[in-house]
Amino acid sequence: MAASDKVQAKIQREIFELTTSIAGLVASFKKLKRPLAESHEKVPQATDQLDKISEQTEAAAHQMLDQIEQITQREDELIKGTEHLKAKIQAGESEEAVRMIDKIAEMANNNLNDAYMIMDSLQFQDITAQQMDHAASILEDIETKLDTILDAMGDSVRSDRAARVAPKTRAYDPHADLFDRKTNQEDIDSLFDKKQQ
Amino acid sequence: MADLKIIAVDDSPTMRRIIINTLKRAGYTDVIEANDGKDALAKMKVEKPNFVITDWNMPEMDGLTFVTTLRGMDEFKQLPILMVTTRSVKDDIVEAMKAGVNNYIVKPFTPDTLKAKIDQTLAG
Repeated sequence: MAASDKVQAKIQREIFELTTSIAGLVASFKKLKRPLAESHEKVPQATDQLDKISEQTEAAAHQMLDQIEQITQREDELIKGTEHLKAKIQAGESEEAVRMIDKIAEMANNNLNDAYMIMDSLQFQDITAQQMDHAASILEDIETKLDTILDAMGDSVRSDRAARVAPKTRAYDPHADLFDRKTNQEDIDSLFDKKQQ
Repeated sequence: MADLKIIAVDDSPTMRRIIINTLKRAGYTDVIEANDGKDALAKMKVEKPNFVITDWNMPEMDGLTFVTTLRGMDEFKQLPILMVTTRSVKDDIVEAMKAGVNNYIVKPFTPDTLKAKIDQTLAG
């Protein structure tokens, strides 16, 4: 074989190896494409979910603050009212004192109702906790997909983390919402009424 | 009302406190609580409640499995069950109804709605 033929054969062999190597790389990139695309889709989902939690927590906090402001305002009036009441009793104005006692009792009753309303409003905690679990679940999905990519790249990060963090059982409603109900209570009642008939 | 013993099943301690307080305001003072379906089944064997209020999404045993399990047991076949959950998709409500739930409330609920549904379930 002539020297030029040997060189040509060597070049051909190297081109073949290079082509095989590029084909391998393309296959690897194709494998990475799906988890990358899925991760890319899930990031906005997690962001939206976290934004929703932030908005709903703020709305619930405002609702409770409104009630607390009303309670504190009434408490202020109650304190002043008892001072006036004491003065009226000392002055022997019993009719006016009775009227003031009725007013104080009414304000105390309103405060009690507002305190109960705050307790009812605290249901937001269960709902936003489920929304947070949903967001965490989306982030865990992204983590799994990124782990797949790291694995494909021969990175050992995944096994290290998997050994450290135990998976958490998450029980949540993906549609949990403080304000948006897919079915209202009247329609639910109607479903149960039909069942009974 | 005096004889009514209620079990409140919910994995959220906050929600359990709210439900128990609401029940007490409505005059239902005999209330026990459980974290999920599995915990409830164990407590029910001992405590023998005659009314169940249960959530749906819970660890270990969810509300739907819990209700299905109860309906498969002779002693709890006729037990009144009220589901109180965030799930408001119609298909979910139909599924709960098929599992044997007697009434259904979506969270967040008002004390009036809870009281009305308990009364309605007991009357039905």
